[in-house]
Amino acid sequence: MKKILFILFSFLLFTSSIVVTPDAAEEANAKIKAIYIYNFTKYIEWPDNYKEGNFVIGFLGSNFALLNKLSEMAETKKVGSQTIQIKNITSVDNADKFNIIYILSDNSAQLSEVVSKVKGKCTLIVTDKPGLAKQGSGINFVVVENKQKIELNKSNIEKYKLKIASTLVSMALPVN
Amino acid sequence: MKKLTIIRTFILGLLLLTAVVANAQQEKVQAAYAFLEQNKLDSAKANIDAAVVYPETVNDGQAWLVRGYVYKAIYNAREKGNRRSPARLEGLYSFKKSLSIDTNKEFFADNIDGVKYFAKTFHNDAAESLDPIDYRTAIELFNKSQECFKIVDPSPASLQAKQTEFDFALVSVYNAVLENDNKDSARVFKFFTLAKNIYNKILVLEPNNIQANIGMGKLYYNQAVNIIKSLDIDTDITKMDIIEENTKKLGTVAEPFMKTAHNLDPKREDAIIGLTGIYYILHEDSKYNIFKQKLEDIKKQ
Repeated sequence: MKKILFILFSFLLFTSSIVVTPDAAEEANAKIKAIYIYNFTKYIEWPDNYKEGNFVIGFLGSNFALLNKLSEMAETKKVGSQTIQIKNITSVDNADKFNIIYILSDNSAQLSEVVSKVKGKCTLIVTDKPGLAKQGSGINFVVVENKQKIELNKSNIEKYKLKIASTLVSMALPVN
Repeated sequence: MKKLTIIRTFILGLLLLTAVVANAQQEKVQAAYAFLEQNKLDSAKANIDAAVVYPETVNDGQAWLVRGYVYKAIYNAREKGNRRSPARLEGLYSFKKSLSIDTNKEFFADNIDGVKYFAKTFHNDAAESLDPIDYRTAIELFNKSQECFKIVDPSPASLQAKQTEFDFALVSVYNAVLENDNKDSARVFKFFTLAKNIYNKILVLEPNNIQANIGMGKLYYNQAVNIIKSLDIDTDITKMDIIEENTKKLGTVAEPFMKTAHNLDPKREDAIIGLTGIYYILHEDSKYNIFKQKLEDIKKQ
């Protein structure tokens, strides 16, 4: 009988090359924060003069994944009729008009400077480090039991003439 | 006396007739083999199929071996590529039948070669069927190849090694679906469960299988990431706690598998990458920083 040369295919060739990457986790966590920030625009009301022009979010710090997610949000969503504008900033000028300033944890030291610069304005200050809701921010991202939560300091929001929906108050951790 | 003579004549006649019929069947077997040598496969098939139905040859190991050869040739000439080839099944049946009746093991080596040949064809067809559409066929064909290999080499270790290799290949198909086609939640659940069951099956037998531990860790971690990736930006804030609870659960399940793999091989990069991601998604900053540093150290080496 004629011999047939036979090659046995190796299933090892099919073994998955899909790898997990920390980038995917960074993107996921960034998306969660972006969702929160977009929700702030729905559950907080700005005075009429801040409903004109663009809805400006100042981004103080360096986090490419988060900046990217916020930019995606700005491209696809609006706040009422306002176009969302994300400004990646290194400091705040007295003349700047921000609806939200988000200070990332690495830039937390700039909180007091930001608080003084936005005095008398209608800006929501969002921070990302434990304890900062007591030091001037209106909303502070914290981690509780491995989950992303927010602390909310009502007086630090209302003193900037912003109105907060009760839904947001009820689901946040209160800080006085 | 006369009666006895009649009986004797009758028995003798019967024996002669039996010998003639048996001889005729043997001739059919020989004819089938001759036709096979001349590549006249239809004639070979007609002769051998006619031969093996008779009581004289139904238990003839050689006849069934020849039948195996004939159907193997038909498979090669006409049905190669047909994953459900009837000739292949008939050929395999014939070799197995010959093995079962060949008590003197006269044709053992030839039959084993035949079974081995078909085992490889089933195996290769299983490999070619491994995709998100045909994976069930791949499982069927692989099981058939294992059935054959069990005859060729019945040692459990050899069979288990092939099974594990196939299981990893199969789970790669499931992972590819989960990675690239994850919009339909019912489909995701189905393939997630299939993948989980395979890793579980491997880990029950080999709890320290690094690849399976990493695979299981990845499966849960990726699921956590995919849940968040699939969220719309205007997902209501009131739903976030439930979503985070689910991702936390998935990350918490993923962590011990990835940790086991890391403990077994501390330099294994994909386990370190996995743990870095898991700790990030669990917001465990101190552990995340430790593994991020380990990852940077490994990349420097």
